Amino acid sequence: MKTTTNFKAAIILSVMASIMVACSSNKKPIATDTATEVAGSEVDFKIEKSGAQLWGEVCNRCHIAPSPADYNDTDWETISLHMRVRANLTEEEITKIETFLKSAN
Amino acid sequence: MGIDQLYQNLEKMKKLLMTLIILGLGSSALAQTYNTFEPSKTQFMLRGYGHTGFEYLDTGGEQESTFLGATFAPIFLYKHSDKLMFEAELEFELEGNELKTGLEYADVMYVLNKHMTVRAGKFLLPFGTFMERLHPAWINRLPSRPLGFGHDGIAPASDIGVELRGAFDLGGPKMNYAVYVTNGPRIKDGSEEPEEAGMLDFGYYEDVNLAKALGGRIGLLPLSDSSMEWGISAYTTNSTGAEDSDYKEVGAFLWALDLSYVKSITPLQGVVDIKAQYNSSNVDTATYYEIEDGISEPYSFDNQSSSFYTQLSYRPIMSGSDFIKQLEFVGRYSDFNAPEGAEWEEKSTQYAFGLNYWLSWRSVVKLSYQTTKMEGGHDSDGTTRTNGLFVHWAIGF
Repeated sequence: MKTTTNFKAAIILSVMASIMVACSSNKKPIATDTATEVAGSEVDFKIEKSGAQLWGEVCNRCHIAPSPADYNDTDWETISLHMRVRANLTEEEITKIETFLKSAN
Repeated sequence: MGIDQLYQNLEKMKKLLMTLIILGLGSSALAQTYNTFEPSKTQFMLRGYGHTGFEYLDTGGEQESTFLGATFAPIFLYKHSDKLMFEAELEFELEGNELKTGLEYADVMYVLNKHMTVRAGKFLLPFGTFMERLHPAWINRLPSRPLGFGHDGIAPASDIGVELRGAFDLGGPKMNYAVYVTNGPRIKDGSEEPEEAGMLDFGYYEDVNLAKALGGRIGLLPLSDSSMEWGISAYTTNSTGAEDSDYKEVGAFLWALDLSYVKSITPLQGVVDIKAQYNSSNVDTATYYEIEDGISEPYSFDNQSSSFYTQLSYRPIMSGSDFIKQLEFVGRYSDFNAPEGAEWEEKSTQYAFGLNYWLSWRSVVKLSYQTTKMEGGHDSDGTTRTNGLFVHWAIGF
């Protein structure tokens, strides 16, 4: 039983370590010319979501999306940092949502 | 009109003009002050939630009803900078005549980069999603928690340690992760509560040994609208007993699967919200002792537990009626299986149905009926059925 527990722990450690290494760098990968062209064409066709759209999609995953008018800009900055970590949101998601909430309150 | 009177009128006009000029300059100065005001980077905010209500319970023919003392959970947020924050949540609850207090979490967090944040202190554990994201009264769609969570539950809720977490965009789909090291649970050896021997105590925060618990969760949102999230969690420790006890070598391994699907569906004229989580707990086999006729008898059992819940709710937000669009219909199934052979052996199933009325996005009145069938458990060897009617009013602030 002990060996099994250690084995499972080792698997978890390996997976987590891989993710940490993969996620801890801000450096962008060096792309070849071909890859750059493909990436460029993909960017051209990528439809960027607005803050309002993300506000409707992301907040509703746990609770009803909040009314922008309920807090001022300063409060939304604090709440956004709190929710970024609590709900494990991407930087892009929370930045756009915060901008929308501050523009609509 | 004499010259004196004309002179007096001119003096009055001069005073009036001076007054207007002073007022104008003053308001201009004030406006300038206001326009140059900028909020400081350091910010403090008080948020939280609370609830109150009424409950009626019928347990095997024994009836009881009571109004609930209000539960109050203030949350303190201190934003030191754009990257550094301290957060804490207190709990105040009346249990009988006693005021029960608790520290739900208190941690400091720092955003290391766009994909990673570090947290340290006492924090909610990302073991599945219910305890970390969904348990607050103004978020939970039903007045009660599913079986397997909370007191005597098998899912860990919070602990003291350090955690790394973050999220990244996969070009449409998204992924998030969390990995943590904490003090870990303590195993109940039966010396204090013989009927709970072999149960993991996640509410005992003092570290009883040198081993630490390691855990984490990976969440995947495969759809570009983030409507669906799958999560897998794991939690393990090599030791749950005190350093000098017979249970030092008793380890534990827990895992969980969770699902969330929230989507506005036009043909249904509303929002469908599905949540589910499966928890599994495996604790190494050990020998415990029970006293029978003054004699200590050893016994052991295969210490495996599991619990599951799934919940479906529907809000008809596209209805033409302002009243109907504030309604929400909820149904939930949950079960809990404690180890066979343990003093706390139990097999329970629960069905809960609810009708909610949302006063605002953060205030809800919940009416719920719940029926629970329990075989075994602490208080009975037979089968017990408990039916309950709940009316709760929850508010977030």
